[in-house]
Amino acid sequence: MKTTLKIIFNLSLLFMLMAFQTGNVLCNAKELKEKAKNKLDPYKYDNSELTKIIYKNKETVKEIEVSLFIGEKYRFIFELEALPKQVEVQIYNKSKDAKNRKLLFSSKDIGLDKKEFDFEISKSRRVYVDYVIPPQEAGSYTGCAVLMVGYK
Amino acid sequence: MNYKKSIIISLILGMLLFSCSNHSNEQNEINIGNSQERDSIGLINDSILDSEETSFTLPSPLQIAYVFKKSGAPFASSLLNDSKNVTRYNTNNYKRAINFGIYSADLAYCIFNNKNQEAKKYLAACQNMGSYLGLNQAFDSDDITKRFNKYISNEDSLVKLVSNVQLKTDILLEQNKQKHIIATAFAGAWTESLFIASELYSKEKNNKVLASLLEQLSFSEILIKALKKHETSEQEIPELIKTIEKINIQFNSIHSVKTTLEKNQDIDFNQMHMTSDEFKTIAEMILALRQNMTI
Repeated sequence: MKTTLKIIFNLSLLFMLMAFQTGNVLCNAKELKEKAKNKLDPYKYDNSELTKIIYKNKETVKEIEVSLFIGEKYRFIFELEALPKQVEVQIYNKSKDAKNRKLLFSSKDIGLDKKEFDFEISKSRRVYVDYVIPPQEAGSYTGCAVLMVGYK
Repeated sequence: MNYKKSIIISLILGMLLFSCSNHSNEQNEINIGNSQERDSIGLINDSILDSEETSFTLPSPLQIAYVFKKSGAPFASSLLNDSKNVTRYNTNNYKRAINFGIYSADLAYCIFNNKNQEAKKYLAACQNMGSYLGLNQAFDSDDITKRFNKYISNEDSLVKLVSNVQLKTDILLEQNKQKHIIATAFAGAWTESLFIASELYSKEKNNKVLASLLEQLSFSEILIKALKKHETSEQEIPELIKTIEKINIQFNSIHSVKTTLEKNQDIDFNQMHMTSDEFKTIAEMILALRQNMTI
């Protein structure tokens, strides 16, 4: 009897896991932000934004407008470990609706598989962080990304 | 035979378990656009926005005060909101959030001017306002008062301490689906910082203080956008937005600002100036807003 139950339990778990075609990743804001904060020094913590990422059947972009003081230096920390699929991070000097905007940074240049990275900027009043979410044809995926801003 | 039965039962159980979780995933997708969602893993989501909507980050009161200090502005304790007024604001969430922001700005201003005894009072005021907003955890977990006393003569350590509280506050408000409090509190901090800057400029006519004032005013645009995302969260927010829009219009009509924007040039606040009439108008608007927030 015990053996039978054991078999039933193990096989149920196996079938359930195999049948799991969705990729919903745990979005723990506290953990992600605390990880990001460890990379701030010597910059001081200013603010942070947790962005929910939902993968759809077409490419989508989620944008964050970041206001800065022009005389300060900034470090942007990105924590992407809570994303089930790769997302490209782009940083521009103007919003996605503007013409002739300049790309300041793309995570493609450092490798899309990187889950944590940072970017430094100064002498800017405003930048726009775009999460470029690739299309997903099958399954349903959600995750989240953290941007943390430090200044010095 | 037993083994075959086990496989069949396992397959059925596995499919049942999968279909339950899949159903709640579908619910999650169907309900996109509504707030207060719980996903299939039982997490509370942030307000799920349309993918085209932009989010905004706002600078902290600490950073505003840090930048302002660099202008060489002196310290004037008479300008700060009396820390004893705390109980006055425990009436509704809007008042609590606004004055949490105001006291945060006052705390930051004291820290960067090495006015540590005053800073202690404002830390207590922030802690009180924070408790009214359900933010006890942000202050208690750091044993903040004890540590503040320990590091009282070290500005860097105090800044780190207060930054940690800021981060914990941001996390708690996000988890509690209260992101509108972040924007509202910033409105309070921004107003208080503008008030201090405009009062000091009116007395000393220091160009660096003016540059700092103008730069702080330029944040009105992003503040309006951030508040508009939470327009329905508190009944006072629409009126607050209207007031800040008027300040924004006034800022954009300052001749040197308007000329720079029209020419699409990079803004150098140090090269800008205001006529006394332009300053008087905007200072009165800031004063009126601040008075409305602190009564």
